[in-house]
Amino acid sequence: MTGMTENPVDLLPELLILAGAVIGLLAGLFLPRGRQRWVGWICGIALVAALAATSVAALRPDTMAFEAYSVDLLTHVARATVIVANFLVLVLAAGWARGNSRETEVYVLFMLAALGTVILAGAGDLLVLVAAYLLASIPAYALAGFAKDEAGTEAALKYFLMGAFLGVLMLAGVTLLYGLAGTTAYQDFGPVRGGAAGLAVVLLLGGLLFKAGGVPAHFWVPDVTEGASRTVAAFVTTVPKIGAFVALFRLAVEVFAGLEIGWRPLIAIIAAATMTLGNLAAFHQDNVRRLLAYSTISQAGYLLVPIAMAGQSDLAEPALLFYVAAYAITNLGAFAVVLAVGEDRLAGYAGLARRSPGLVLALIVCLLGLVGTPPTAVFVGKVLVFAAAWDGGYAWLAVVAAINTVASVFYYLRWIRPAFQPGDAITVATRAARIVYVAAAVSLLLGVGSGVVLANAL
Amino acid sequence: MNILVLLLPALPIVSGGALIILRRAGPAIGLLVASATVLLAIWAAIQRPAMTIELFAGFESGLAVDGLSAVMVVTVSVVALAVLVFAAGEIRESTGRFFGLMLIFMGAMLVTVTATDLVLLLMAWEVMGAMSYALIGFWWRERDRVRSGTIAFVTTRAGDMGLYLAAGCAIAGSHSLNLTGLTATSSPWLDLVAAGLVAAALGKSAQLPFSFWLSRAMAGPSPVSALLHSATMVAAGAYLLLRTQSVLVATGWAATVVAWVGALTALLLGAVAFAQRDLKQLLAASTCAQIGFMVLAAGVSAIAGGAAHLVAHAAVKSLLFLGAGAWLTALGTEHLPELQGAARRYPLVGVTFGVGALALAGLPPLSLWVTKDMVLAAVGDPALHAVALAAAVLSAAYAAKALIAVWSPEAARRDGARIRLLERLPLPLLALLAATLGIIGLLFGGWTRLLNAAGPLPGAGELAASGVLALAVVMLVIGVRLRRRAELEAGAFLAGWLGLEPLAVAVVWQPLMVVAKALARFDDAVIDGVVRAVSRGGMAMARFARSPFETGVDGVVRGTAAMAGRLGKLARKPQTGQVHTYLAQATVAVALLAIVIMLVR
Repeated sequence: MTGMTENPVDLLPELLILAGAVIGLLAGLFLPRGRQRWVGWICGIALVAALAATSVAALRPDTMAFEAYSVDLLTHVARATVIVANFLVLVLAAGWARGNSRETEVYVLFMLAALGTVILAGAGDLLVLVAAYLLASIPAYALAGFAKDEAGTEAALKYFLMGAFLGVLMLAGVTLLYGLAGTTAYQDFGPVRGGAAGLAVVLLLGGLLFKAGGVPAHFWVPDVTEGASRTVAAFVTTVPKIGAFVALFRLAVEVFAGLEIGWRPLIAIIAAATMTLGNLAAFHQDNVRRLLAYSTISQAGYLLVPIAMAGQSDLAEPALLFYVAAYAITNLGAFAVVLAVGEDRLAGYAGLARRSPGLVLALIVCLLGLVGTPPTAVFVGKVLVFAAAWDGGYAWLAVVAAINTVASVFYYLRWIRPAFQPGDAITVATRAARIVYVAAAVSLLLGVGSGVVLANAL
Repeated sequence: MNILVLLLPALPIVSGGALIILRRAGPAIGLLVASATVLLAIWAAIQRPAMTIELFAGFESGLAVDGLSAVMVVTVSVVALAVLVFAAGEIRESTGRFFGLMLIFMGAMLVTVTATDLVLLLMAWEVMGAMSYALIGFWWRERDRVRSGTIAFVTTRAGDMGLYLAAGCAIAGSHSLNLTGLTATSSPWLDLVAAGLVAAALGKSAQLPFSFWLSRAMAGPSPVSALLHSATMVAAGAYLLLRTQSVLVATGWAATVVAWVGALTALLLGAVAFAQRDLKQLLAASTCAQIGFMVLAAGVSAIAGGAAHLVAHAAVKSLLFLGAGAWLTALGTEHLPELQGAARRYPLVGVTFGVGALALAGLPPLSLWVTKDMVLAAVGDPALHAVALAAAVLSAAYAAKALIAVWSPEAARRDGARIRLLERLPLPLLALLAATLGIIGLLFGGWTRLLNAAGPLPGAGELAASGVLALAVVMLVIGVRLRRRAELEAGAFLAGWLGLEPLAVAVVWQPLMVVAKALARFDDAVIDGVVRAVSRGGMAMARFARSPFETGVDGVVRGTAAMAGRLGKLARKPQTGQVHTYLAQATVAVALLAIVIMLVR
């Protein structure tokens, strides 16, 4: 932390997102139903402006705003990734929500959830963290049940109940930590020891693992991904994770490091359990959405590895940031394929190669990206993660991750095979297909240009 | 003027190649190129250009026109032009291919006679061999002709191996391929170089024991025979020996061997020629015999005589072959008895053929009379001299036999086709050359001066004696032939070219085939057997491995997959879809984690 400020301009990206949401909501109140897509434009412009502001902020030295919000590399990357991912989600959502009487609400809820995610990543105080948790969660509950259908409602309820329960645990953890350390600001934490501190950390982790979709707070992921609208599924399995992992990393570096407890092996165990469970459960899935849901769980496991290594390996931070950005883009690309084809069953993808070879190619790029095949971005992230684990003295974790990666090939490729089999006519949604192409291209470019990115930015 | 020596062979070779590909206007282009080549050759003979290049690092190659080469290039190009003019009249089908091949043939000969090193010589030598194969088998739809071409090619090729040997030994012995530097080759290598050169030259020149291929070479069109028997191919061997005469001398034995081979060829093949009943076969055997005189010249260091004989013989023999070819086309026969009256029917051909035959007989003042005596004058060894003289007598005899065959009045007039103008056109020119080359050369010591090579000139007495002898033999043969109209027949042995071909087949070919078949059996049974045994063994091992091991591996794979599937099902067990179980499980898990963090430090 190079300095403290009370300057709202330091929070300009967050404020711009908020402004987009608020102005969009107000505008939506007065716009006729046929013109509600303007709200989408407003939100999109707000996101572009926020991205520009992020770029400008990244060039300035790190700072601490209002003694509770860190503006540093972690925040910059989280901001940029969330903004880009949310922008892609808005484009996807525009096709789905068009003409709906509550079209405005869709955009605004996405914006607010994204805002909560960004703040989650930047929070430098446990209370801000809790507030951000709520801001990131509640719009997402609403979105999950947005379609008002049976499956969506059930998904929303499960999502909400899990989130509420783990949120309460998290609040308990915060309270406990406050009681032990006498402060909620990360930077003021001193050395704390004892079983209570350990319990507090476990409780705190519960909430963040809920957002990250990690074991044991992962139960909502498959059900929500399958039950909610496809766009919402894409959002909740991608965007909140960004904030959750950055927040976890910040906590690990700034809070847990000061606690004299075995948090590091704990997170390592959670990471191993998460990736293994996600991969195993993804086997023999015939529903693409559930397959992707378990895939996101396993990816969360890999992402937990650099957090376990936080402060122990210099590679941990670039590994986390690169992986999380690469994962967000690639995962959105895979979900966009589901949106483009509009089909949940694996068998429903038969004939896609004949109908749209470009889309299949992009799908292959995204899936091989999730496996971690060169030259995609996730490959670089994975290599960094393995290296960080090895570097940090957790070789067994690297081995477990490698075995899981090999195992994951099986179910990802199961999606590609039916695409090359003869099948019925398939209609492909153009807008979603474009997002797939963009995601695949970015994944490749980020992978090929990883050297430049890592050398200059991370 | 370096470009000139390159252009001289390049023009016919390149245009010949183009003709083979384009197959348009063969005769016109062929004649045009041949005429241009004659002019280039004359120019080159005056200019004496030379050039060197480095084909292989460290080995200088080059083309040059010196005295001997000058004579050769002019001879080759003039004879080729004459033959091509004739061919333009005779060859009617596939003219592009024919003239293309002929031009390349001639170009290769030009390179051969101008090359200053063994590499270029060898290249041209091989190209010439290949072209002779293609030309002898020109009518390739007839299997017999193709077989003749193959025999000619394989036989000369067998001799060609000597040239490779010579080149290799020259590199080993003197680290140079230059023809003039071959004498500097160190001792054991020098003998090998000479042996190789002699083998190659004897093969190409159809000397004993290779002579039989020339009989086979008659299968080609008449113009091919005319060119192949006069200025190219067979002449190349004689040329090579004349060119490398210093090497032969340096070894101490090669010159003698060459001289004897030449003389014996002249004698034996002269007898063979006399025994023939077929005009072209007679001429072919006479070619061997006459080339024998040139080889003899190389053996006795009579460069000027040998070269003069080569040039004069080129003119004579191309003339004779063209005449025989003209009759063959017109009358459809080359059988001596059936050619009776041919000369009277076609007087121009008859007169020019007569001039050629008389020159071949060595009658004064015609060319071969002089040139042959130039060679004989250099022969010192009495035995050799006697053999050569006997050969000269035989040449008078077979020439007379050919002459009488065509000039004797025919018994009954038969129909014959017209001989075309183009076919008649070159004959007078060649006859003129055949008649005068010798005497002109002899005046002022022209041959020696032109070739820049000293050599004993025949005295007036010798010339007169040989002239009288030749005349006497010719008169005798004609007299005998006229008085007794019976055939002058010799044994089948002579008529069959001394049985050389069956001999070669029996001595070389069949043993070779026996060895080849034995080796093939070895290859099939042993080497292939080992290969097959390896594969069989591999299959057997694979079968053996499949039963216990493969099943095991397969089982492991299947087991892993099944276990992964079961584990997957197990992993999905907690995903009941019911919130209360989720919450309960989460609670238990968090509790467990709390215990873990208590225990782990």
